[in-house]
Amino acid sequence: MANINFKSKEIEVKIVYYGPGRCGKTTNLEKIHEIFRKNVTGEMVSAQTEGDRTLFFDFLPMGIGKVKGYDVRVQLYTVPGQVKYISTRKMVLREVDGVVFVADSLTVRREKNMLSLKDLQKNLKEYGLSILKTPLVLQYNKRDLADEGLPIMPIKKMDRDLNRQLKVPAYPGSAIKGDGVKKTLQTIIKLTLKSMKEQLNW
Amino acid sequence: MGIKNQIKSLLKQAKVYSEQGLLNEAKSIYIQAGKLMQKHKDRIKDQTLAVYISKKLNTLKEEINKVDTSSNTIPMPEAVQNIIKDKFSFAADDDSKALEGAVALAKFGQFERALEEFTNLIGRAAIRVDAAKNIIRCHKALNTVADSVENYHAWLQSDSFNYDQLVKLRVFLQNILDKKGMDVKLPQPEPPSSGKVTRIEPEPAVEEMVQEEEILDIGSVEITVSNGNSVEIDVSFQSGAVVNLLISKDEKDLIEFLKPDMKLEDVQFYSPIAMFKGRGTVVAMSKIESGPKQGDYSLDIEIKSLN
Repeated sequence: MANINFKSKEIEVKIVYYGPGRCGKTTNLEKIHEIFRKNVTGEMVSAQTEGDRTLFFDFLPMGIGKVKGYDVRVQLYTVPGQVKYISTRKMVLREVDGVVFVADSLTVRREKNMLSLKDLQKNLKEYGLSILKTPLVLQYNKRDLADEGLPIMPIKKMDRDLNRQLKVPAYPGSAIKGDGVKKTLQTIIKLTLKSMKEQLNW
Repeated sequence: MGIKNQIKSLLKQAKVYSEQGLLNEAKSIYIQAGKLMQKHKDRIKDQTLAVYISKKLNTLKEEINKVDTSSNTIPMPEAVQNIIKDKFSFAADDDSKALEGAVALAKFGQFERALEEFTNLIGRAAIRVDAAKNIIRCHKALNTVADSVENYHAWLQSDSFNYDQLVKLRVFLQNILDKKGMDVKLPQPEPPSSGKVTRIEPEPAVEEMVQEEEILDIGSVEITVSNGNSVEIDVSFQSGAVVNLLISKDEKDLIEFLKPDMKLEDVQFYSPIAMFKGRGTVVAMSKIESGPKQGDYSLDIEIKSLN
């Protein structure tokens, strides 16, 4: 649950970028760091291991200014995508307010996307949260790889695989080029603040 | 598309997958290309390509092995440790928040820093015993249990702990020392002048779904492998319902048997005051890459139930 201080009129929101290994979660945060330089309130911190894979998490703090008189601070995290880091993913998800699920558009990663989404659902459930009620945005990343002649899944197919029941906003993206990164972030912040407004009567 | 072009296209795909860090996918494509070459060897006389594919496959196998066995207990820079401490503690009151922050550091394998934090927390009455137990756990994880004995002696001399607390700490540490086969007998604390002596009773053995707060301190875990043999391993660190075990590289059957996500239906948990049968899930398993335990495995088991 977000930290809201009615006295000092400050809100702290936690948004987690989730998804299978190497889908582009860290690249999303790196691009956000570049695009929203003015809003970034601290250094982006990364804990990486072998082959630039995220070991624990990436962390990027941002300020988005005032909303309804409240100073809103957003903290962005990524989780490690590798299957073996189950407990770390769960720890990072604790007290989450909104989730961006980054799916890999490469055809060969179809099953990994679905397994990771299932893992997200399971971990949220263990914290008493329903994936259907948690603010969530999907990003179908790596659309640019089609230009390199690699087989990627059509958006319709990814929607069918991942968004048939969720019916949440989903955007095609190429995090490495910055495409879809801004839209994804703006939408998840909007959805998260809307959800907080409803829950906290703020 | 001709065979040569098909192979070229596959190699291009494999190269991009490899650059993307999708090592297993790259490996599959190289294998596919190799098979295609083999099938049409009568039409492809030049063996340079076959050598190239073979080299690429070997490099990929090494990289995959490195990733699969990379350690998850690498000491992190201070900036990362500070975020772990500050952002992974959620309690409302200061004491619990400070303790949670230090536990989070240990959960992320930052034992040296966690040890510093727990040591600072000994001064806080409400969380003193938890901090002391966690100091012992950190020493165990760092393979410096002998330092815990010094800590215990210092606690005996100080006014920080009352008699009951010292009795609990003694039972806890003595069990670890005994399990490690260390020939050290910790002195009993002096009973208070009223002469009232506390006896630590075993916990009731009732099956229940495990809540983090309800978990006892587990000293060791016995796992039965597929051939029916069982292996008992000391717990090197415990955080709530998750116990971390260090498995020697010599325990080949056990290493072969255990897999991430695996459900263990028949596990024996030993605590200093009781033993339980129970169930657990392997939540993390990785090979230790450096230090004195190099080649051994680090295993996290989440306790699901205790009988």
